[in-house]
Amino acid sequence: MKFPRTMNRRTVLRAGTALAAGAATGGVLQGCSPEVTEPQAPLPFTSGKPLPWTNWAGNQACTPAARAVPASEVEVIDVLRNAKGTVRAAGASHSFSAVVPTDDTLVSTDLLSGLVRHDPTTQQAEIWAGTRMHALGPMLHSVGQALPNMPDMDYLAMGGAIANSAHATGTGFGSMSSYVAGLALATPSGELIECSATRNPEVFQAARTSVGALGIVTRFTLQNDKAFALTEVNRVETTEDVLADIDNRCRQHRHFEFMPLLHSDLCVTIATDLAQPGDKDEGEDDPQAINTLRSVFNAVRWLPGGDALYNQALTTFMAGDASTVRTGPSFQVFPHVRVVRFREMEYTVPAEVGPACVREILATVKQRNIPVCFPLEYRYIKADDIWLSMFEGRDGCSISVHQFGDVDFKPYFAEIEPIFWKYEGRPHWGKIHTLDARRLAALYPRHWKDFQEVRRALDPQGRLLNAHLKTLFGA
Amino acid sequence: MKYANLAALGAIAWAGLQPWAAHAELTPRQNALLANNCLQCHARPSTGAPVIGKADDWSARLAKGDTVLLRNTVEGYKGMPPMGYCSACNEDDFRALIAQLAGKEIGKP
Repeated sequence: MKFPRTMNRRTVLRAGTALAAGAATGGVLQGCSPEVTEPQAPLPFTSGKPLPWTNWAGNQACTPAARAVPASEVEVIDVLRNAKGTVRAAGASHSFSAVVPTDDTLVSTDLLSGLVRHDPTTQQAEIWAGTRMHALGPMLHSVGQALPNMPDMDYLAMGGAIANSAHATGTGFGSMSSYVAGLALATPSGELIECSATRNPEVFQAARTSVGALGIVTRFTLQNDKAFALTEVNRVETTEDVLADIDNRCRQHRHFEFMPLLHSDLCVTIATDLAQPGDKDEGEDDPQAINTLRSVFNAVRWLPGGDALYNQALTTFMAGDASTVRTGPSFQVFPHVRVVRFREMEYTVPAEVGPACVREILATVKQRNIPVCFPLEYRYIKADDIWLSMFEGRDGCSISVHQFGDVDFKPYFAEIEPIFWKYEGRPHWGKIHTLDARRLAALYPRHWKDFQEVRRALDPQGRLLNAHLKTLFGA
Repeated sequence: MKYANLAALGAIAWAGLQPWAAHAELTPRQNALLANNCLQCHARPSTGAPVIGKADDWSARLAKGDTVLLRNTVEGYKGMPPMGYCSACNEDDFRALIAQLAGKEIGKP
């Protein structure tokens, strides 16, 4: 979460301290408690026994019978040819959905990392698919290049980011998948397919967002920009003011997003532009700010009129605060530190209905008195032509809802998910949702069947389909 | 491309750390795992994670004992994600990487 440092250090902490006595003596609402004190892996670790695999959020786990860590393309092909049972690949294990778990063969891409080649004329770079985003930034910077856009954290492996169409924000920028100009795909039969818009184009259109259902991508060629610097400005504003001005904000800034604070009129806006001479960095935002917000919420919401008190507390202590600024090379400004565990659901609705959708979510949380304080996230992404991209054929507005990792997310997400359906939302492949093949096919009318044909041709035995992918693709 | 030793060294240098006397001999493979996974937090003080080679950061963790330290690494604990992002790591890797970060051998039970 990216909050102004002022929110934490100068204001909300002050509010939290002032209000904490109430939390200590009063009832605690289930939506934001308790504090995390114990390990949260679904499967326990026992020394000497097979290691469990667990995702970052701690809501997915498995104990694979075999684990492979290929260090070359040849080894990837060998693993795929000889693996037993269902084969799945893991990068940084950051997906919230069950795209990874398998009891059979888990392939880790850690050792497929680094820069293969780059071209200073075209600003393209070929990278190994296991390269982590945090390593990619400095790697590209060293050859004068940068990703045109990046998500707000850099823990992801590029292979997973592209398989699931990870994205950032900016009406002029597509998802990570849209920067792929070519790739190499190792298939379950042990074939290596090189593809691009002109070479094996159908495989290319399917593999740029595949949920890992076609094989294991070993290399990507990325269309980058020349290295550039950015300045990010965070402010606390009123949500309705921002929504009323949303088109201007998106036009004025290279990247714009905002995070509505539930049960309040406020939001945190994040506007990012090319850095200008004289921009002064104020340092990293506070990764624990979300826990401070949680403390304030827990401190006041049990009281009579808790919502009004909470809103008043945030307004009093936060609104009107000076903005905070981060500036530097793009790969240092885009990402933020993320250490507070949470679970996330995200749908992308058509860009033009984004304001109506987020308003309905905010109103629903308030009217149904859903006890949750984790902010929403609201972003824009440019349309693309990738078959299973959430942005295929339409500019998208991605709205994310989160719940703390130590609280059951299901009741809250179940209240909100139907709102996304009403606005024809497409779920993020790497995040939590409940849709199956029948409903997903209706959301991708142009190319759902095209994708399934390529998938069946490359994996006729369904060796890459775990239980979750079987639900997604109806196989 | 196979091993990111240079990246690991670069990350340490970037964090402005003093050279750290290794307590475990890392293999080239483990060096790559260190760079890809551990150092993104343990060489970045702003994350709140105990910094590689900073004894004060590690003393309270080490006091819990090797078993708890290893379990918290694999299962996750507070800001520490399960497996420390490293799905490629086996138990020996985790022991070696913890030793490298904390400056103490992590014994087997």
